Amino acid sequence: MIMACMHPNASVTTTHLTRAIGVACAGMLWFGVTCPAWADRPTPNLETGQVAYLQSCARCHGLSGRGDGVDAKRFYPRPRDFALGVYKFRSTASGTPPTDEDLFQTITRGLPGSNMPDWQHLDEPVRWQLVSYLKSLSPIFQQTQPAPVKVANDPGPAHADRANGKALYEKLGCAACHGMSGRANGTSASGLVDDWGMPIRPADLTQGWASRGGSDPQSVMLRVLTGIDGAGMPSYADAISPEDAWHLAYYVTSLQETPHWNLVAHARRLEGALPSSVDDPRWAAAERTDVPVRNVVNASGEWSAPPTVKAVAVEVVYNDEAIAFRFTWDDPTQDPPAPPSEAARQAGRGTPHDGLALLLKPAGSHGDVVTLQAWPSAEAPPLDLCYWSADTGEVRETVAADFDGVIGRTAPHPVLVKSGAGYEDGRWRMVLQRPLAPREPEGAAVIALDSFTSMAMAVWDGGNPSARAVSPWLDLSLGSYTTEKQRAR
Amino acid sequence: MTHRRLSSSIPLAVLVAIGCGGKPPSASAKTEGSMEVAQAPATSAPKASVPTPAGGTAAIPITAKFAGPAPARDVIKMSADPVCQQQHPTPFHSEEVVVDDQGRLKNVFVYVKQGLTGTFPAPATAVTLDQAGCWYYPHILGIQVNQPFEIVNSDATLHNVNAKPTLNQPFNIAQPVKGMKAKKAFTKPEVMVKFKCNVHPWMNAYAGVVDHPFFGVTDEHGSATLSGLPAGTYTLEAWHEKYGTQTQTVTVAAGETKAVEWTFKAQ
Repeated sequence: MIMACMHPNASVTTTHLTRAIGVACAGMLWFGVTCPAWADRPTPNLETGQVAYLQSCARCHGLSGRGDGVDAKRFYPRPRDFALGVYKFRSTASGTPPTDEDLFQTITRGLPGSNMPDWQHLDEPVRWQLVSYLKSLSPIFQQTQPAPVKVANDPGPAHADRANGKALYEKLGCAACHGMSGRANGTSASGLVDDWGMPIRPADLTQGWASRGGSDPQSVMLRVLTGIDGAGMPSYADAISPEDAWHLAYYVTSLQETPHWNLVAHARRLEGALPSSVDDPRWAAAERTDVPVRNVVNASGEWSAPPTVKAVAVEVVYNDEAIAFRFTWDDPTQDPPAPPSEAARQAGRGTPHDGLALLLKPAGSHGDVVTLQAWPSAEAPPLDLCYWSADTGEVRETVAADFDGVIGRTAPHPVLVKSGAGYEDGRWRMVLQRPLAPREPEGAAVIALDSFTSMAMAVWDGGNPSARAVSPWLDLSLGSYTTEKQRAR
Repeated sequence: MTHRRLSSSIPLAVLVAIGCGGKPPSASAKTEGSMEVAQAPATSAPKASVPTPAGGTAAIPITAKFAGPAPARDVIKMSADPVCQQQHPTPFHSEEVVVDDQGRLKNVFVYVKQGLTGTFPAPATAVTLDQAGCWYYPHILGIQVNQPFEIVNSDATLHNVNAKPTLNQPFNIAQPVKGMKAKKAFTKPEVMVKFKCNVHPWMNAYAGVVDHPFFGVTDEHGSATLSGLPAGTYTLEAWHEKYGTQTQTVTVAAGETKAVEWTFKAQ
């Protein structure tokens, strides 16, 4: 019977009770209430809620809900401080608290792209008790009523007017923070601070997977209308009609690029010379692998700066002698701003600059580097780094014991590697090419044809100099179809 | 998709009609600013209200001064937005500390902190906060609780009005189009409410919200006047954005004019 409410279009057997509940649900829908949630809600019991909170939430959100849990400083963004009563993801007007359903949804869905997991394994009544408990932590729920924003019906992907959405994106000034192509590289993108005093960045709209409030058109539509309280995103409820908000949302979601996450990077074999420029059409043959990169915590175990580079796409091609990689990543600022001058190449140092290093395990290396988050550490083996930096525009390969020697160019005998790079509208692309088994530098990594080779990446954003973002280890695989005859050649 | 319109207006209207019995206070003799106080008859409203005293005739002219050499005013860089840049062909300076050649300090918010009795209904005329040339005008303003507050965008560029009160309801609204107006009001006294724009981080403004009309902001000559005060002893507070707050106690008789001077200095 309750299922009848949840699926109003489904046909149901009509008993009197069913009809009565159907009418009640219809009546409640008329008054703007979501039926099934109300049907299941237990009576609020703060003791039960607190027990559930301490079991599931306190570790990050803190014993008193102030976002000061044991792990809190290792997360970016930080876990929510519930005592302040400011909530980001709502269906209500800016400055008003979220509805109970908004809170229930955040707990149930989690916030993808952040450390807030989904809690679907908790029973629904438990999640509702958590909602009631959260509300008890801030007086705002008594002082102000949630004021749901007016929303229009979803036109659906077939009828959404993305051209209108694009015109709205320009008219409403979205590019000031989010950038012309949505890559969070607008002129006002840096210098934003949230209500909790932490520096923040606008969303990179091409990365739907990092969209914590949800990447579907409805979620985007609500963010536009309600704003994201506590952060910089304002409410556009007075500047846009509910119908136009949908068209804008469909345009924004059309900017999202589908990631191809994998921890195995498949290299494609090419005949003849390998591409050495970022625009070479032969890259179309390569397979793209998206890899997340995470900022390294500082010495006290904290993340203190918002990540500006969150993922790197890798494409790999090879032939008999050499292997070429093309890396693509979003970086909101080009650092240094100009293409490298001859003087910069000579100097090789100076202002903070963008960079990317390809890391491989040196030939004959023993010992494991479990994660680049903790490299270098005592007794860790050296790694083979191919380091590209935007100030010189060059890639140098060296086997080094730490990053500083490579960046500061004090590591011994760096070898110049063929490369090319280009920056456009918030996005870097860089190509490097090296032999499969180079003779120098000494101990350089050998990339195997018939087994996995471990590789990883580290990325620097000159505009965010305190942060170095590192990837997990990937398995680089060079074509799996070598026959005995081919190996014998 | 569920329909998430505002809760149906019909039962809400019924509740509103039932809950608000009695007539509102009459709006006789209401003028703007601190000149007069409207009479409020004893009402049959659910909440008992204290009758206001008769309009006062005392006045307190304020002068704010700055001791010592005035700090240099920073030049505001607006290169992030060409629409802003174009409106300032000559260097534009911060309004954080504005001192004239006679050492008088602008933008000090002065108000009666203690000593008033009675309620003072808010004027109907709005106080306006304007965004022009990517700057807030005025930089410091005073407003009464429940007085209409209009925020206008006079620029052809996106501004967002990010209001961060702690006692009143905060809000963050976008005004992408020139001419857009937002109507707001504060429901509680709060000294001061900060406004900022995320798109143009050099922009900020402060509003002093009080529940009576006896407040002022010193002008470029360091002057403001609290007028129409009933006779009594009052604690006045002066607030400056950089140099903090100071209080003074002053007693005025009916019809008396008593000047008060404030001096701020660098810490």
